[in-house]
Amino acid sequence: MTTDRRRWVPYALLAPGAIWLVLFFALPMAFMLLVSLQQGSLSQGYELTWNFAIYPEVLGQYWELMLRSVVFAFLTTLITLLIGYPMAYTIAFRGGRFKNALLLIVVMPFFVSFVIRTLNWKMILADNGLLFGTLKDLGLLDPSFQFLATPASVIFGMTYNFLPFMILPLYVALEKIDRRLIEAATDLYASRVQAFWRITFVLSLPGVIAGSLLTFIPAVGDFINADIIGGGNRDVIMIGNVIQFQFFTANDYPTAAALGFILIIGVMALVIAYTRAVGAEKLTEG
Amino acid sequence: MGGRISRATLPIFTALVVIFLFAPIAVMIVFSFNDPAGRQNITWQGFTLQNYITVWSRPDITGPLLLSFTIAIISTIVATTLGTMMGLALTRYDFRGERASNLLIFIPTTAPEIILGASLLTLWVSLGQERGAPTILIAHIMFNISFVVVTVRARLAGFNRSLEEAGQDLYADGWTTFRKVTFPLIFPGILAAALLAFALSIDDYVITLFSAGRTVTFPLWVYGVSRLGIPPEVNVLGTLIFLIAFIFLGIQAWAGRRAGRRREGPVTMVGR
Amino acid sequence: MSRPGLGPPSRIEAAIERAMRRDQISRRAFLGRAGRGGVALGAMMTLPGLLAACTPGSESASLEWANWPGYIDIDEEGNPSPTPYPTINAFIEETGIQVNYTEAITDNEDFFGQIQPDLASGNPTGWDVITPSDWMVGRLIGLDYLEELDLTQIPNLEANAADYARGQSFDPNNAHSVWWQGGITGIAYDPTLTGRELTSFDDLLNPEFAGSVGLFKEMRDTFPLTLLSIGVIPTEATIADVEEAQQKLLGPAEAGQFRGFYGNEYYDELAAGNLVASMAWSGDITQMALYDNANVQFVIPDTGGIRWNDNLVIPNLAANPSGAHQLMNYWYDPVPATILSEYIGYFTPVADVPDRIRQDAEAARDAGDTETADLLDAIAPTVAPSPEQLANSYEDKPLDEEEEQVWNELFLEVRGA
Repeated sequence: MTTDRRRWVPYALLAPGAIWLVLFFALPMAFMLLVSLQQGSLSQGYELTWNFAIYPEVLGQYWELMLRSVVFAFLTTLITLLIGYPMAYTIAFRGGRFKNALLLIVVMPFFVSFVIRTLNWKMILADNGLLFGTLKDLGLLDPSFQFLATPASVIFGMTYNFLPFMILPLYVALEKIDRRLIEAATDLYASRVQAFWRITFVLSLPGVIAGSLLTFIPAVGDFINADIIGGGNRDVIMIGNVIQFQFFTANDYPTAAALGFILIIGVMALVIAYTRAVGAEKLTEG
Repeated sequence: MGGRISRATLPIFTALVVIFLFAPIAVMIVFSFNDPAGRQNITWQGFTLQNYITVWSRPDITGPLLLSFTIAIISTIVATTLGTMMGLALTRYDFRGERASNLLIFIPTTAPEIILGASLLTLWVSLGQERGAPTILIAHIMFNISFVVVTVRARLAGFNRSLEEAGQDLYADGWTTFRKVTFPLIFPGILAAALLAFALSIDDYVITLFSAGRTVTFPLWVYGVSRLGIPPEVNVLGTLIFLIAFIFLGIQAWAGRRAGRRREGPVTMVGR
Repeated sequence: MSRPGLGPPSRIEAAIERAMRRDQISRRAFLGRAGRGGVALGAMMTLPGLLAACTPGSESASLEWANWPGYIDIDEEGNPSPTPYPTINAFIEETGIQVNYTEAITDNEDFFGQIQPDLASGNPTGWDVITPSDWMVGRLIGLDYLEELDLTQIPNLEANAADYARGQSFDPNNAHSVWWQGGITGIAYDPTLTGRELTSFDDLLNPEFAGSVGLFKEMRDTFPLTLLSIGVIPTEATIADVEEAQQKLLGPAEAGQFRGFYGNEYYDELAAGNLVASMAWSGDITQMALYDNANVQFVIPDTGGIRWNDNLVIPNLAANPSGAHQLMNYWYDPVPATILSEYIGYFTPVADVPDRIRQDAEAARDAGDTETADLLDAIAPTVAPSPEQLANSYEDKPLDEEEEQVWNELFLEVRGA
């Protein structure tokens, strides 16, 4: 292949997906950006007034909830990583012929609707439900203990619902590691633990990064876990809940859109900072 | 990891995670055999198999479920194909516009679902496009692409080019090299990305809502019916999905065992 | 007009009977599905009654109807065609109008979000009939998104509607909407957990139940009940009144009085005992007491409850408004209305329905089927508000846009944003 012929190859590979994203993401979002700068009401219609003031306005009003969302999402990401890494490791290195089966098992709970999964979790986690009810009956737990409608329960719900987003990319990165490298490292370093941190973990970093991003990003904007598992409690509602309220309940489309763009910009900033810190800026910055 | 302790620790840990993942599913399966007298299916009231019969007279439930599966399968195939191509382009080539492409791929994951969905609806309305299964499909492919690219790239990062170059010496054209060398190397990444895309699509509520028009998908139906009480037939369908998936898994593992006998222990994975 | 026992069997009744015979609705469907729905068996026993109402249809146009899932009688045993819903099949047979019944409404606000851009830009929504709740109808009327009804095409409304179902505050003359099904918002509690009887809204704010009380997450549910508790009739509430109501909730909210702000999920939280007391919908608690938690009781607060209802309306530029009118008229015929009520058990808009259910019960008892008879007797009093309930319940206020914005902002603060 001549270099000349290869020059168009990346463009050809990119084009279909890129066109799709431009048409059905970038274009509509550009329109949404204009919506955020409109003023008006449902009955009078919304008019473009280039109302940039809305951005500092909503930021000032809701920054605490944004912060809470970031904290919840961060904790969720950390916990999914701690649970997901050993799981992905086991599938990749011990899975044998069950590898693909195990992968499917990881995503299978998501084939039934969120509402069903959550309703059934709530039966298990109710104050006197299958789990805590039993523990309380056994005297192992204070009778007043409550899990649902607490911040912990929201993080629990997000951990459950985002776990595949962590495990799958981790698996993808772990599975490609050449075992001979690990064996060689085990000979080289004193302990297996050292070998793990210096070789396996380092080589799996692309998976750690991808998994954390795919968990953290949707978690920041999530509202359904706070709504259903968190019961919409005052201490658990997230910025996603406000966007939902502003859009569906108040029909204040400009505010909802402005909040959405602040979220996009904020998350992108965090992501870029993160990828730079771990030396993976190619992922987001080219 | 490794060492004597973790030999037992890891499988036990994995088993616990699987239990964690399946805990609500187990409850769902149990309640598919419930015989609720009322509208709600949340209190155990007696064993019955009746739901497994009545479910077939509920096109109002099976219809949306079939539609959701169809949309999930098609959107997974298309998004995985497009996303893998993009992933290849971004990791294996240097070209102008790479930075812009990266942003274009990454930003959709950061957009709140409501904004993503609503912006698409404004597009459909301004185009005068009637909403239905095709528009849902377009939306699902759109949000799936980014997730596929990110996942596939986790595979391609630090990809060893020497094998491919060897392949290029061996085979005449690029396509054959891709088919015989590159594709098998990145296949686990593609598979994982496809699974992720499928899970995202089959369970989507918010974005679907805006592109649905008069079409009802399974998550939409279930969310709506929760106002009056979710009938046990929904649990039955959930249970059947699991049964089918497990049968599929059994066949696969069995086939894998036979294939494994044929080619024992090949080292195919190449690190940096 | 609606005197049972007079006149020949209506065409609708005959059509339903035919449909049911053909589809072999079995006894088990009726008994096994009791509260979720007893089926239409009862209607087969109804005394031949009413005059036929539907104009025999000559048109064969289709009719697109959006309703909430699970909100209609369904035959789970036979395989009725063309739809699984016997009453709709009877309508199709009667009028020749092909009804495409879609369970597309998942939530009032979500549904509004789906159709609003079309309505705002003057496009047809694709629907001929939709089934939004009261306050949403008010909003749709305010935005001029609904077709006006021609009541001469809905003679059954005048003839058969119960008084409480005529002309709601958001649409006093049924100019745009007719009642589909309804209920009452009040409070529910578990006496074994509260340790005492609850009678007032203020009981929900009592610190002894701190952290175990549920409110609704929709402002439209929560503010009106609170307004009543400070002695304000919701339809007459001013901004100052709402501010007072908000203050009343804000203090307890900040002190952690409320476990959460719920939608439909309050049901399982209350049944599971996570909540000791909560705002609640009457029809749900009938269900809960019968099947999920016998302890839980529904009360209308001494200061009053709120009547809610869902309505049939025609969105702008509907393709088949004439079919939509025929459908509305059909549902005000006591025969299908009775079948529907026996199945889903909310408040019916048709006056005659409770009596007809009792007659069905009697007929079942005569036929030796005590189980069905008991069940129907239990359902009959729950499908219409009792005089006491009517006396102590009020309608929600239809809000103009500005009010809605202020009320919403005040409520968002209560929810913690």
